[in-house]
Amino acid sequence: MPNDYWLRIYGITGIYIMLSLGLNVVAGFAGLLDLAYVAFFGIGGYTFALLSSNHFNIHLPFLIVLPIAAIVTMGFGFALGATSIRLSGDYLAIATLAFAQIFRLLLINLDRPIDITGGVNGIYNFDPIHILGIKIVSPESYAYLIWFSALIVVIGCFRLKNSRYGRGWNAIREDELAAQVLGVNITWMKLKAFAGGALIAGGTGAFFASFQDSVFPNNFDFPQLVIVYCMVILGGLGNILGVVLGAVLLSVLPEFLREYGAYRMMSYGLILIVLMALRPQGLLGTIGFLTKTKKRPDKDETGILRASTDLYYEGAQETECKRAETGKHCKGDHVVLELKGVSMNFGGVTAVNNLHFHLFEREILSIIGPNGAGKSTVFNLISGIYKPDKGSILYKGSELAGLKPHRVLKAGIARTFQNLRLFNKMTVLDNAKVAQFHRTKSGPFSILLHLPRYKKEEAECERYAKEVLGRFGRRLTGYRLEQEAMFLSYANRRRLEIARALSTKAKVLMLDEPSAGMNPQETFEITDFIKQLRDDYGYTILLIEHKLNLVRKISDRVIVLDYGRKIAEGSYEDVASNTQVIEAYLGRKGH
Amino acid sequence: MDVYLQQLPQQLINGLTLGGVYALIAIGYTMVYGILFMLNFAHGEIYMIGGFAGWWVLHLLSVNSQPVMNAALIISLMIIAAMAVSGLLGVLVERFAYRPLRQAPRINLLLSALGVSIFLQNLVLNFQGAKPRFFHVMSLVPENIRVIEVGNTVFSFMRILVIVVSFVLMGLLTYAIKKTKTGKAMRATAQDIEAATFMGIDTDRIIVYVFLIGSALGGAAGTLVGLLFTQVDYYVGFQAGLKGFTAAVLGGIGNISGAMLGGIILGLTEALATTFFPSAYKDVVAFTILIIVLIFRPWGLMGEKIPEKV
Repeated sequence: MPNDYWLRIYGITGIYIMLSLGLNVVAGFAGLLDLAYVAFFGIGGYTFALLSSNHFNIHLPFLIVLPIAAIVTMGFGFALGATSIRLSGDYLAIATLAFAQIFRLLLINLDRPIDITGGVNGIYNFDPIHILGIKIVSPESYAYLIWFSALIVVIGCFRLKNSRYGRGWNAIREDELAAQVLGVNITWMKLKAFAGGALIAGGTGAFFASFQDSVFPNNFDFPQLVIVYCMVILGGLGNILGVVLGAVLLSVLPEFLREYGAYRMMSYGLILIVLMALRPQGLLGTIGFLTKTKKRPDKDETGILRASTDLYYEGAQETECKRAETGKHCKGDHVVLELKGVSMNFGGVTAVNNLHFHLFEREILSIIGPNGAGKSTVFNLISGIYKPDKGSILYKGSELAGLKPHRVLKAGIARTFQNLRLFNKMTVLDNAKVAQFHRTKSGPFSILLHLPRYKKEEAECERYAKEVLGRFGRRLTGYRLEQEAMFLSYANRRRLEIARALSTKAKVLMLDEPSAGMNPQETFEITDFIKQLRDDYGYTILLIEHKLNLVRKISDRVIVLDYGRKIAEGSYEDVASNTQVIEAYLGRKGH
Repeated sequence: MDVYLQQLPQQLINGLTLGGVYALIAIGYTMVYGILFMLNFAHGEIYMIGGFAGWWVLHLLSVNSQPVMNAALIISLMIIAAMAVSGLLGVLVERFAYRPLRQAPRINLLLSALGVSIFLQNLVLNFQGAKPRFFHVMSLVPENIRVIEVGNTVFSFMRILVIVVSFVLMGLLTYAIKKTKTGKAMRATAQDIEAATFMGIDTDRIIVYVFLIGSALGGAAGTLVGLLFTQVDYYVGFQAGLKGFTAAVLGGIGNISGAMLGGIILGLTEALATTFFPSAYKDVVAFTILIIVLIFRPWGLMGEKIPEKV
């Protein structure tokens, strides 16, 4: 058994591991730069100090104080998280930093008129921890206790990461707008990220206070924050094992370099600078440790390099291309979507001007018009990204205007983006799975405890995602499922964008130039596919397109926009011979 | 109430003094943000090092705390040295910590700036010690306690000096930005960095100038504060940085006149607040303003809301 000195180091290392994992939840998973994190550590520590000592003469047992500290801190996490609703990136960082400073000021000054925090001198002499009859006093027992909890936190983090929470956070980090439109309630998820980090920090704070048998304001100040950030960044932001590694390295290494102790903080600063310049992903960065090592699909045991066409046909058996009975759906008589007098201005530019139209059930309605006519703006208005200045948007009778994007999705309308907004660093399968966020309900309890209800939901989510991806032939299946979206070919990226929208189980699809940039062969395929979506699966489709032969082939009706106004409506033939439309596209005939 | 009214002119002067200083610091933040859209976290430390530079000049030009030459000359040298040292430091930081990250996501830049801030802070701590350095102002300007006394208001020489110098510097900057060719290039680069390169502007060089000028102004502020409050230590940069940043955001980050306005408003608000609240909590004023502005009007008083094209 190593001597007491090293046992204490192990103890502190365990504390740092837990602390770093908590920061990893808010900054790594969700990408929120929380510079007030160490204040949560402090809240947990001081809560323990107040509830388990002679300070106020409250002597609660540790097993009760620990959850209290964690939950109280989580409450503060929710409160601080409220700032993240409006702010992002740099601004969020500064706002949280300001809060941290306020916290520090409160710690130092709240010793008069009533002594709450003990001021600069802190609080000390706590009750020893008793767990199940065992008294935890020696460095050895502390080390066991702390590492046991650290293990629990690690497992919890892995479970969170691979659940709908992890995927939702990832999506928010990649592209907030796309996440919203796909049903992720970003406000709640950001709050939960703050709260989750705070929960862990608070619990760790209680452990730390007991371990040090004291709490001082400068235990929870800026240098401490920098240390934790260094650990997380060094290991690899978002990578759980990396973060653990970073915490271990930066807890143990300084012990070997004690003689240079004076330069410790300076080195942390230097580490951050160098890491950001040379290896921002940290040590373990994008290398998944416990994820399946992906065999390079073009090389196998025989050593012969295989052609991509072979690989293409290989995944054949994995695809269940379940085709519903062909052509059983056609345009209905029921109006599902109605726009009445919708107008939208952007600081003087009228993008949409008093627009009226109907969309029938199971109809394929195309919106065409020259560039800048306001077509994408109409989509943005319907999906809730903008609120119309005037007018109303009714879906099945209820007003959509003013609803947040994830609520529009929940109501049943999904959309794709003209410029593709895939979650590039997430795998193809995860992109499809995250679209089901609003259809799944598992909360933190089910996820952390891997309850049967959660497992069933995950299995179904995966099954449906694979089924939807399978509708595109074999292009998005097989080995492609585990590939990150950024590595797909352009046409496949467009297909994935549509697959994602399908995965939301929405009934109405708004496709914004789905064939943009595709060659004639691919366009032909996608045209057929879109028609199939209505004929075989009964989707209602609103389509923006520039390729008029595509429009002619599949549309039931066509609407033409120009300068934000509807200038024609009807079948393709009617619209194509309309003089106003021809003028809008080609200009007026000279005389 | 009468008591407060009597204190008013005094606090106004205090507010303007602080305001001038905050404005100088804020300009540094806002100029960098306007072009690179990054928050130069390390700016506070650059301000602090400017203060140290000023102290060293005073120290080297004094024997036994007595200045060896004309006080006005010494003070001028202090300010110039501070500006030079800080300016140079700013350029070095840009070159080695920020330029490699020009194409990186913003979070990387922010973390790197954090690293620079910590590095510089502890560099000074390690090589200059933790004890504050004192500016023996008494020997510089013997009657600096009062020059003019009007009723209940006391105008100290130092405060007047700080106000004058900061406003002169701000005036020079405004002239440079509005009337010189380089100033025009800076404004162009801030509006659209790509288009500026197409117009033949060497944006890399412009960025160097921006860091040079912003840091120099911060350094001047550092020395002025040192003269005003007679001391500087390794930690002042952190607090001053946050206040300067608050001023920049209040005025509208990216907008230089906004930074000046924000600085003055912040200074006045803080001075007035100290009449009503216990001074231990005076910093809370600045931080609270910061949070409120960020949440309710992040584009500040003079900034513009920029819509995102979807």
